[in-house]
Amino acid sequence: MPKLVKNKAHGVLQNGFFAAVDDYPIAGGWGLNGKLFAVGDASGSVQAFDGTSGRKIWKNSEAHVGGIMSMSVSSNGKQLASVGQDGQLALWDFADGQLQHRTEIGSGWVEHVAWSKSGNHLAVSSGRVVTILSSSGEKIWSSESHPSTVSALEWVTDQELSTTCYGRVTFFNTSSGKENERLEWQGSLVSLALSPDGNVVACGSQDKSVHFWRRSNGQDSMMSGYPWKPSELAFSHDSILLATGGGEDITVWSFEGSGPEGTTPGVLEFHKAPISSLAFSHHQRHLASGCREGGVVVWSLGRRGGGHALGGAPVNGSVENVYWRPDCRSLAAIDSEGGITVWRVKKI
Amino acid sequence: MNSPSKVPVTILTGFLGSGKTTLLNRILSEEHGKRIAVIENEYGEVGIDQALVINADEEIFEMSNGCICCTVRGDLIRVLGNLMKRRDKFDYILLETTGLADPGPVAQTFFMDDEIASEFSLDGIVTLVDAHHINQQLGRSLESTEQIAFADVILLNKTDLVKAEELDELETRLREMNRLARVHRCERANVAISTVLNLEAFNLDQVLADHPTFLEPEYPFEWTGVYALSPGSYELSLDDGPDPTMSLVMLERLDPNEEALQQGAEWCVRRYAEPASKISPGNIVPIDQHVELQLQISGQKSFAIEIDKQTSLALFAQHTAEEFNLRLGASDNAEVLPVLERTWVAQHEHDDEVGSVAIEVDGDVNPNKLNAWLGKLLREKGIDIFRMKGFLSIAGESQRFVFQGVHMLFDGQPDRPWGNEPRHNQLVFIGRNLDGNTMKREFEACLN
Repeated sequence: MPKLVKNKAHGVLQNGFFAAVDDYPIAGGWGLNGKLFAVGDASGSVQAFDGTSGRKIWKNSEAHVGGIMSMSVSSNGKQLASVGQDGQLALWDFADGQLQHRTEIGSGWVEHVAWSKSGNHLAVSSGRVVTILSSSGEKIWSSESHPSTVSALEWVTDQELSTTCYGRVTFFNTSSGKENERLEWQGSLVSLALSPDGNVVACGSQDKSVHFWRRSNGQDSMMSGYPWKPSELAFSHDSILLATGGGEDITVWSFEGSGPEGTTPGVLEFHKAPISSLAFSHHQRHLASGCREGGVVVWSLGRRGGGHALGGAPVNGSVENVYWRPDCRSLAAIDSEGGITVWRVKKI
Repeated sequence: MNSPSKVPVTILTGFLGSGKTTLLNRILSEEHGKRIAVIENEYGEVGIDQALVINADEEIFEMSNGCICCTVRGDLIRVLGNLMKRRDKFDYILLETTGLADPGPVAQTFFMDDEIASEFSLDGIVTLVDAHHINQQLGRSLESTEQIAFADVILLNKTDLVKAEELDELETRLREMNRLARVHRCERANVAISTVLNLEAFNLDQVLADHPTFLEPEYPFEWTGVYALSPGSYELSLDDGPDPTMSLVMLERLDPNEEALQQGAEWCVRRYAEPASKISPGNIVPIDQHVELQLQISGQKSFAIEIDKQTSLALFAQHTAEEFNLRLGASDNAEVLPVLERTWVAQHEHDDEVGSVAIEVDGDVNPNKLNAWLGKLLREKGIDIFRMKGFLSIAGESQRFVFQGVHMLFDGQPDRPWGNEPRHNQLVFIGRNLDGNTMKREFEACLN
C-alpha cells in the first residue's frame, strides 16, 4: 500500500504539473493526442492547458452562463463539446479555443454530452429528452420524453446510444431514432457503464446496488450491500472487469467464465473517504481511483478482480474526476478546490 | 479538505395561491445577509435578480424495495448534487414545492441520500395556508392535509380576507391537526424572517432548547385586548357573567401585533400557573400578576388600574370581554377601546382524519418494551404517521432521550440530564386516523 505524503507522488506516479482554475472544475478531457488538457468549471468557463508544462493555452470565460455541466472530446481529439446550465451545446476547436458552433438545446440544464465513437455524431440530454446532432452541431433528431430525467448516456456503437433514467435503460438506433431495446428495473439509476464489447450494461442504483444485464442472453443480476450509492462504475478495456465505487472500498467484479454471479469480488482498500472517480486505462487492466478526501491511486488488477496499488498521490480537495491521457503515459485529476494535477505514469 | 458546516434547507409548501411566491420574494428582498439559492418547481415565478434560482421537475422515486420511507425526490438529489459544487456562492436554500406536492419524499431526501445528508440539513417545513380557502381545500385534497401535518411552521396567510371568529376557528382546527407546529397569522406573508428560517426543527440538539415543553399550551385564557394608555387612572368594569370569578393577567408594553401577542400568551401561561390573588371590586388590579377578580355581587363591578407612564397594556382574560361586557374607562369616563383584540378558542373536536396524538406520562419506560412497541407502531402505521417528536425518560438513563421522525425514519439521542426535574415522557404524533387512546394505553404498558 502506498502511503500518501503531502505533495508527493509515489510509485508509478511522478509529479507532472499543477494548475488551478477559479471555480469548481466540473469536467475535463485530453485533446490533440494528449497535447492539451481542457477543463470546464462551475463559473461557466472552459480553458485548456499544455499537457506537459501546464501553461494556459486558451480560455473562454463565458462558455456557458450558469456553469458547465459536462464535456466530451471527439475521437480524433480535435473538437471539444461542452454543455451547460444555459441550455446550450458549444463546440470548440481544441487547438485554439475558437467557438465553432453553438446550439440551443432547451430551456433547462443540458446535463450530458457524448461524442459517438467515430466522431460523426453527438448525443446530448436535457431533462427527459435526448438529442442527436451532427459533428458540426446541427440537430438531427430528439427523442420522446423519457419517464424521468435522463441520468446518464453512453454510445454502444456508432449507431446505438444507451440512456438511463428512473426505472430503465433505453437503447436507441441513432439513425432512425427508434428504440432498439428497453431494460427495466424499478430503481433510480444514477450511473451507467457499458462493457466495450457491448454485451454488459451496468447501472448503479440509488438504493445502493449495482444492477447489470447481459444483452446477448437477457440474463440480469444485482449486486447489493454497498454502503453508499454506487455512483462510480468503470469497465476495463477487455470487458472482463467492472470496477464499482459505492463507499470507501472499490469492489471489482470479474466477468471471466460464468462470473461474476457466484464469485467473490476483488476489494481494493485504501481510500478513507467515499470513491468519487474511477477510470480504467485504455490498454491495460490498470485502474485509477480518486476519493472525496483527496487521493488518487493507480491499481494493477488481475483477471479475477484482485489487485494491488502501483502508486498514488495526494490532491487537495475532493477528486472530481480522473482522466488517462490517450497513450496512458499521463493521468490528470481535477478536484473540488480548483486544482488540476497531472502526473507522468512510469511504464510498468 | 475543509468541510464547512451543512447548508440549511427550508421547504416551503402550500397550495397554489397560498402566497408562497410572495413569501419567497419577501425573504429574498429582505436584508438578512444570507446568500440564498432557490429551488423552484416548474411553475414558479420568482423574479428576483440577485438570487440563484434553479428549476426542478418534481420526480418522485420509489426504491425497488417499495418501502415508503425510501421514496425520495430524484430531481432534488441531482440539483442539490450540482449545488454542492457551487456552495461558496450561497449559504441557505429555499425549496419551494408545487401546491400538490406531498412533503414526505422531499423531507426524506435529506435523510435517505448519504451524499445529500452529508452536505445539507433540513431546517424546517413551512406551510402557507390561504385562510380564505383552506377549509374547502382540507375537505377535498389529501395533499393540503399532508402539508399541514408535516409543517413545523404554519403561516395562516390572507387573514384580511376572513372574519376574526373564522380565523380563530381555523387556527384551532390547524392546531389540532398538527400540535407540533407554530401557527403565525399574516396578511401578505408579512412575517418576520426569523419565524421561517433557521428553525432547526430537525436538529435534536435544538428541538428542545427553544421549548422546555413540546406541546403548544392549551391557553387558560379566552380573550386578549391590547389598549394604548397614557398615564392616569382607569376603571375596568364588568357586568354579570357566566362565572362568579374571572382570572386575569395584565402585561405592559405589549406591542399590538400577532407576534408579540403570541409571545405574551406564552408568558401568561406561566403566570396563570401561579396561584391567583383574589381582587375584590374597588381595588387596584396589579400588573404582571395572576389575579382572580371577585364578581359574586350582582350588577356592575369596577376595578382600578393605575398607569404611570405611556404604555400598551394587554389584558389576558379567562373569559371573553363580551361575556361580562368588560370595558375600560378613563378618568373622564370616556370608554377606551382596545387597539387589538384576540380570542383564544377553547379546544373542541373536528372530524379531520389527520390529527395529533399527544402522550404525556410520568415515570420511566422500559427500553425493550418501548422498542418493541415503537417497532410495531412504525411497521403498522408508519405510512400514516407524518411527523413525531418527543422526549422519553428511559429507565436507568440519567439523561432525557429526545427523538424525532418522519414516517418510518426515526432519529434519537440523549439530551440533558434530568437532574431534579420529575422524570416524565412526552410524545407527539401527527398522523392520519391515529387511535390516540390505544397508543396511549400501549405506551403506558411500556412503563416500568
